[in-house]
Amino acid sequence: MRKWFILLLTTVAALGLGWGFFGENGFLRGQSNTGAARAQTSPIFTTAHSSVGEAVRHFFGIRSEAQQPIAYTHKAHLDRSITCDTCHTGVNTGPQARIPDIRDCMECHEFVAMDKPVIQQITAMWERGEDIPWQRVYGFTDEAHVRFNHAPHIRADVECSMCHGDVAQMTVAERVVDHTMGFCVNCHTQRGASNDCLTCHN
Amino acid sequence: MQESSTATTTNGPAKWGMAVDLDRCTGCEACVTACHAENNIPTVGANQAAAGRAMHWIRIERYFEGEFPDVHVKFRPVLCQHCDNAPCEPVCPTYASSHTDEGLNAQVYNRCIGTRYCANACNYNVRFFNWFNPIWEKPLHLQLNPDVSLREVSVMEKCTFCVQRIKEAKIDAKRDARPLADGDVKPACVQSCTANALVFGDLNDPESAVSRLSRSPRGTKLLGDLGTQPKITYLQREG
Repeated sequence: MRKWFILLLTTVAALGLGWGFFGENGFLRGQSNTGAARAQTSPIFTTAHSSVGEAVRHFFGIRSEAQQPIAYTHKAHLDRSITCDTCHTGVNTGPQARIPDIRDCMECHEFVAMDKPVIQQITAMWERGEDIPWQRVYGFTDEAHVRFNHAPHIRADVECSMCHGDVAQMTVAERVVDHTMGFCVNCHTQRGASNDCLTCHN
Repeated sequence: MQESSTATTTNGPAKWGMAVDLDRCTGCEACVTACHAENNIPTVGANQAAAGRAMHWIRIERYFEGEFPDVHVKFRPVLCQHCDNAPCEPVCPTYASSHTDEGLNAQVYNRCIGTRYCANACNYNVRFFNWFNPIWEKPLHLQLNPDVSLREVSVMEKCTFCVQRIKEAKIDAKRDARPLADGDVKPACVQSCTANALVFGDLNDPESAVSRLSRSPRGTKLLGDLGTQPKITYLQREG
């Protein structure tokens, strides 16, 4: 009798843990977690993790896939000899490669491919004064303390695809390269760039 | 791009240092304010400050001399001295506190596990521990400097000589294919000093303003007889 009781307890505990880790709002699932939303609405800004789950995910480097609002096809644009920095402006002048907003899209799509349903969709958004809520694909966590600057890399002739994969063959951008410290340090060593801690972390 | 990234007016890496003219310092604390803004230094509130947990990477020490009404006040800005023989470095079990090629006494937050040995070893009380996760009331978080990372709980922090500005100046110099000139790098405290009491630059360049001031007969090192070899020279008051 006692044996069956222990077995039952173990099963319940395992199910609970499984749900906690893999369930809809679980530790190991992405930003569906309410923690991020709570951080948005909170009246204070803090470096503390918004939930235990977020801390665990950051510690193990677990990230959810970005869910883009529109199935933007990088391939179709890059095939038409548009370059990365046409839309991701600022990449050769400053730290950030900007995520384009709807004005960048409408610069061309006020005149180009207006019969496509997805273009009509963003034209409607544009007329309503809305922006496209793109999600970031790459990026470092706060506790990585990395301060990355795009411009010097571009000037050193590092190809975009080196760190971001062959985006020219992708529809929505996927995270195909892991930006681990080893990845950065290898390239810095090969190219004779500084490997001082403060080069990236400050 | 194989050339050295640390091209300065001299060959080889720079050796960053500072000179502080105590005759010029008026104790206005503009440097303290600028440092807080530049480096995202949190304020801890009155209660924690009373418990000795306030964080100021640079502070103005006041010394009163004489009896009222004939009182003289002397000011001395104290920040990390970036010692060449730094007592904080050998005690760190994780090499979070280490020396860079350019003589900066670096604090690598990623490595720091919060033993606080370094703060214990420092003679100048310029290392600060994050006892809590820092908090900014919204929308004050919008004024945080994006070039400087935010330190979380259980991490030690200290003056970096505004290394983000050093890096930016080097990147700009390389973009323009010119050597880094004296005065290209100005930490926030130096930039904000209305009396020009603080001078920053490359000590390896004998012609830089900071080198010339450091050779002044008025120059002294703070607690210099301890053998820490600080890179900040204080020019003693004449008046």
